[in-house]
Formats: sequence, structure tokens, C-alpha cells
Amino acid sequence: MASNRHGSRRRMYVRMVAGSLIRRASRLIIAVLAIAIGATILSGLVTIYYDIPEQLGREFRSYGANLIVLPRGEAKITRETLGRLRELVGASKVVGMAPYRYQTVKINEQPYIIAGTDLHEAELNSPFWYVEGSWGDSADVSSVMVGHEIAQTLGLKLGDSFMVQGVKYGQHAEASRQDLSAEENQKRDMARQNFHATLAVRGIVSTGGAEEGFIFADADMLDGLIGDTFRADVIECSIVADAGELSDLSARIEHEIPELMPRAVRRLTQSQDIVLGKLQALVLLVTAVVLIITMISVYTTMTAMVAERRREIALKKALGAENRLVMGELLGEGVMLGLIGGALGVFLGFEFALRVSLNVFGRGINFQPALIPLTIATFIIITVAASIIPVRRVMDIHPAIVLKGE
Amino acid sequence: MFWRMITKTLIRQRGKMLMIAFTVVLGVSLSTAMMNVMLGVGDKVNRELKVYGANITVRHKDAALMSDLYGLEGQGVSDKFLREDDVLKLKSIFWGFNILDFAPMLDGRAGLNGSEVSVVGTWPEKHTTLPTGEELHTGLKALRTWWEISGEWLSENDDESVMMGHLLASQNNLHVGDKITLTAGTQSAAFTVKGIYNDGGSSDSKILMTLPAAQKLLGLPGRVSTIEVSALTTPDNDLARKAAQDPHSLSPDEYETWYCTAYVSAICHQIQEVIEDGVAKPVRQVAESEGTILNKTTLLMVLITVLSSIGSALAISNLITASVIERSQELGLLKALGAHNWQIVLLVLAEVMITGIAGGIAGYFMGIGFAQVIGQTVFGSYIEIARMVILIVAVILFLVTLAGSVPAIRYLTALKPTEVLHGK
Repeated sequence: MASNRHGSRRRMYVRMVAGSLIRRASRLIIAVLAIAIGATILSGLVTIYYDIPEQLGREFRSYGANLIVLPRGEAKITRETLGRLRELVGASKVVGMAPYRYQTVKINEQPYIIAGTDLHEAELNSPFWYVEGSWGDSADVSSVMVGHEIAQTLGLKLGDSFMVQGVKYGQHAEASRQDLSAEENQKRDMARQNFHATLAVRGIVSTGGAEEGFIFADADMLDGLIGDTFRADVIECSIVADAGELSDLSARIEHEIPELMPRAVRRLTQSQDIVLGKLQALVLLVTAVVLIITMISVYTTMTAMVAERRREIALKKALGAENRLVMGELLGEGVMLGLIGGALGVFLGFEFALRVSLNVFGRGINFQPALIPLTIATFIIITVAASIIPVRRVMDIHPAIVLKGE
Repeated sequence: MFWRMITKTLIRQRGKMLMIAFTVVLGVSLSTAMMNVMLGVGDKVNRELKVYGANITVRHKDAALMSDLYGLEGQGVSDKFLREDDVLKLKSIFWGFNILDFAPMLDGRAGLNGSEVSVVGTWPEKHTTLPTGEELHTGLKALRTWWEISGEWLSENDDESVMMGHLLASQNNLHVGDKITLTAGTQSAAFTVKGIYNDGGSSDSKILMTLPAAQKLLGLPGRVSTIEVSALTTPDNDLARKAAQDPHSLSPDEYETWYCTAYVSAICHQIQEVIEDGVAKPVRQVAESEGTILNKTTLLMVLITVLSSIGSALAISNLITASVIERSQELGLLKALGAHNWQIVLLVLAEVMITGIAGGIAGYFMGIGFAQVIGQTVFGSYIEIARMVILIVAVILFLVTLAGSVPAIRYLTALKPTEVLHGK
């Protein structure tokens, strides 16, 4: 009987301690959760904000080439120069870099222009082209893309073939002579100084611009046809850079590769700076508003949780605890909560920023290591401030008043 | 009794209730601001993207693009023109309100110091009143925001002045204020160079003058070769792409949806209906890219909005949980006095809901304020207030308060009065 009562008392004690711990634990969880939410929003938004110019800048490349590089004087651009240019700009900044060689050819005795290019790079450069059929590639060089305008004039459809004729590089065309029959004239056209080839239509290009009047073919195929090595009339570059960076780059190109003459496309660079500036300001302001509100809300949650401990603190003081001791305890708790919640939030925030970036831009995002100490420090400050400020008032009051009053 | 208890709690616990209300205010204002910005951002960014210039060009159906390629423009090659009288009809189409700016262009060639140069006649600015009474202010100036000008822009009726591309000006060693004589056929006229522009494109070797001056010089009264149009459009989807191929392939329902949506192809279609012999084509470089940027920006804002809304929802529900658990002693006493679980739950819920509603209303108006601050700072214009935000925020707030109360309620129902009153 006695042992029974003894057992029930011990059970009661264990239950009380456990209950108090559990009640305390649920509060701690709430506090850590509040801080972690705040830290997630802080680190997530700041990460996104830092990456926005780069990421959106790449999206603006869908407007096409923003730097046109022309040869200086009469010379043409060789493949070696193109390689040097690519190296100078740096691979990470280049979205597309397509050399173009323009060649006049005859189709049905009418003049047309073939643009020889690196079709893959041209596709990267000009994502806004609407191509019915498919883009050409270097695997099947005899099928080419024609502009919508040409396709209409010549009545070409996908899969159709057409014959092009022209004069080889460095040769001169001879005028048709009237004393020869049409057949003989045609034979002369087919002779050594001339070339002819049958090309198939694999794509029809619509842009609403001048491109609709060109035929687009692989540069090497065109070079082979006209019997010449690679010489480009112009290089269209799509580069991730704002107007300032582009003009620096232009100056560097002119300095290091004097045979080239870079020209920034003002319409694109100026407009991009305006729009991108607005978008960045938008994200900055949104980030600021979200952060301020989040901080305040974390602060209030913490304050609410600490306020209830006024009685406990007053009791401690009544039992003889020094102000410094009580403050130290609260400080330690605040630091611990800020540390745990902040650390949790940094990684959740990065995970969030990564998801956003993958969803919106289809690219990963750079982790900002500086955010780890920044986030943790911010939230330690917030928790400590939230713990100490409401309790401070208690310190100056007589414990009896707090303990007596409700 | 019930309401008296609630009123008492609200007054007695006003510190804590104010805290909850304050957090609700913050959370709701954040969500309201973000949702309004998110819903308005498409329109704002769309307008910003107009700095890229025209996204539609209109030309005569028989005037081929080919002439551009060989530099053979002018009489004899493309002798098909649109009528100047038709230009203002652009504002009369179904989506006329979406047409922000437009300018007719008349291209031709004229002799300058013995060499041939391209001249373009246009409306540098145009101020007029439409038959509908609407005031119209447009012109090329709005379509060439990227031009770097030395000197001045041409004004509306400045028929004796021209603007020159900077390449052409430096070739001919001409400066602002110089006088030039242009000849075309038998016509000849003297002009003053009022401004020199840097376009960074092919326009840099052209001469720009007012439309009447060009029409007189080229002997083409009342004619224009192209019209550049800048319109607010909706990004293309599958329907728009299908329609762009051939509007007749659509079913009547689809056709109506397409016609009544501001797709660039629908606007082109409507322009063709009012411009005699005109063919309107989207400039894909501008039209397509606009869509890309718009979609990305909107998606970004949606995700940021979702994040901040989740964040504030969690913060609110967290605080509610915390504050209810704090009051366990008081609620334990109620239980000890014989209150049923449901009565206590109802009491807590009613308190929290009243606080939440009060905070929500204050927060909504604060949020609208935030949205306007963002709109004014970034875009310099007000963001339209979307009514549906009220509903969305109200539903979210209701669910959040409920969700925040759930752990507290579960805790309360499990509460043993003796333990609570004894412990602590």
C-alpha cells in the first residue's frame, strides 16, 4: 500500500517534469519555426535578387544580336579572327555568335542572296525566328532554309528543290552573247568559273523583317560551292551585357583585334538597360517590402513568446537573481534560437531560390556564401532584441508588483 | 454571456490580441501588395517593353520586302503605296485602345550634293483629335526612344527642316544648323538640318523629314509606304499560332476568342480590315521577345508572391498557436468550472477570428498603399486594384487562422484542468 502511494507520487513527478518539458518544447519549436520562416524568405529573396540581372539579362537575349562586328576596310573576317573574337569575349558571356557571308546567286535567272552562316549559332542568336519545317544543320548541308518572301515569290514549299547558279569566288561573270543560242549560253554558265547546285527547302523563315528575303545555308557548304575559304562579311553576336559592358567590350575588341569594327545595336542595348533597370528596381522594392514585413512579424512572434515569461523572471529576481544573470540567460537563448532558425532558413531559402530559378529561367542559381553569416546574424539580432526589450521593463520594476498583479 | 466573455478577453488581453492583429495586418498587407503588383506587373512591363519600338509593320500587299535588300527603294521598284487617310483608322479597330503609338513612313530617294540618299517622310509628332473625340498624341519620336540626338527633334509642322543619320552627316560633313538642298526628279527643295541622330542601325545613313515635305519632294501626295505600329499585345499561345497561319482554320468559337484577345495576329488581322490593300505583319523580333520577357517576369512575381504569402500565413498561424497555448491556465480554469470542450474551442476561435478580421481589413488597405508605392517608384504610375485580391486574401486569412488554431485546439481538448492549474 505504502509502496503503491510512493509509486504514484513518483509517476506524478515524472509526468509534471515531462509535461513542462513538452510544453516548453512546443514553444521552442514555434520560436524556431518563426525564425526559420523569416530566414528562408530573407535568404531566398536576396539570392534571387542577386541573380536577377544575370538571369533576366539572358532572357533579353531573345531580342537577338546586340553586337554587330564588321571587318574594317575591304578585308573579310577569317575563321582565325572569329576564334580570337570568341576567346576575347569569353564563352560564358556569349549566347550566340554567328558569322554571315552574303553571296549573290541566280535562281531562274533572278538575283537572290544566300547567307552562309553557322546555322546552330544563328538559331541561338535569333530565337524569335519562326521556322516552318526545321532549322538546317551541318549534317545535311544541301537542304537550306529560305525566307518567307522568297518562298512565296518562287512558289517553294517544304521539301521542294531549286537550282542556284552563280560565279565562283575571284572569277568574273561573262555576259550572255547574243550570237550564241540560249543553250550555249547556259552551257557557258555551267562552265568552270561558274557554279550551280540543287538545294532542298527544309525550313521557311518568317520574321516580319528583312530576313524573309534571304536564303540561309551552311557556311562551309557555301564556301565549297563558290570555291573559297571561310570569309565572313559580318559577325552577329548575342552577348549577355548591358550597354556599359558592351561599349567596354567594343573598345577592347577594337584594341586587341584592330581588323574588326564592333557596333553595338543601340536599339537593343539602350532599351534593355531601361527595361532591365525597371525590373530590377521592382524586385528590389518587393524584396525590401517583404523583408521588412517578415522581420517585424518574426519580432512580434518572439516578443509574444517572451512576454509571458515576465512572471518567471520576476520570480527569479524575487529569489535573488541578479539582473545581469537573467539578461545573460535570455541573451544566450536568443542567440541559440537565432542560430538554429537562421541556419535552417539559409538552406531552405536557397532551395526555394533554386526552385524559382529552375521554374522561371530553366537555369540553376549561384549560392551566395555571404548569406550564411548575414542571415544568421540578422536573426540573432532580431531574437535577442525581441527577448530583451519586453523584459527590460520588468527589470526596473519591483518583483512583488509583477508577481502580485495579473 | 458568450459575447461578454469575448469582449472581456479582447479588452483584458488587448496586448496579446493587438499583437496578433498586428501580425495579421503585416501578413495581409504583404499578400495584398504582392498580389496586386503581380496582377498588374504584366501590363506595366508590357508598356515598358514598348521602348523597343514597333511590333507591327503595315505595308502595301504588293510592295515586296525584296526592295529593302538591294537598296532599290523608290519609284519604279515599289510603286505601291498605302493612303495617308487610312492611317488614323488604326485607332478605330476593336483593339484600337491597345495601339499606343504609330507613325506612317514614306520612303524615297533624293539627290544630295550629287549623290543619292534615302529620305524618309514621317510624323515626327502628331497631335490631332479623332472623329470619336479622343485626343491623339503619337508619332515617330515615341517609337525611337533609343535615338541619341544632337540638335533637336523635328516638330509636327516643321516642313522646312530635316534630321540626318550621323553616318550620312559625317560623310557629307554636315552639322546642326547647316542648309542642304535635296532634289528628286524635277522637284528640288531647301532644308535646314535641325538634328543629327544616332540609331546604331541602318537608319544612320538616311534623312528624316515631315510627311508633307517628303510627299511634296517625291511627288507622291497622300501616299505612305509603311506604317509602324506599337501595340500592347498578349503573349501568343497555341490558338494564336494556329490563327496566325490561317484564321479560316479556326472554329467559330475559337475565332471569336482569338479575335477578342489582343494577340498580335488578331491585331494585325483587324488592321488589315481598315487599311486598304495593307498587309500587317508582326515584327517577330519585338513581338515574340516581348512575350518571353512578359511570361518570365510574371512567373517570377507569382513565385515571389506565393513565397511571401506562405511566409506570412505561417507567421500568423504560428503566433496564434503561441498565444493560445500561453493562455492555457485561464482556459484550464474555464474547464475546471465545467465548460465543455466545444465551448472553449468556440470561444478561442471567435476571439481569434474577430482579431483576424480587424487586422485583415487594416492590412488590406495598408497593402494597397504598399502596392501603390511600388507602382509609383518603379513604373511611375498607379497599379490597378484587383477586386479578386480581397476574396483571395480573405479565404487565405480564414484558412490560416483556422490552421493556426488547430494545434492550440488539440492541445486544449487534451488539457487536464488540474494539471494546468496546479503546474506552472
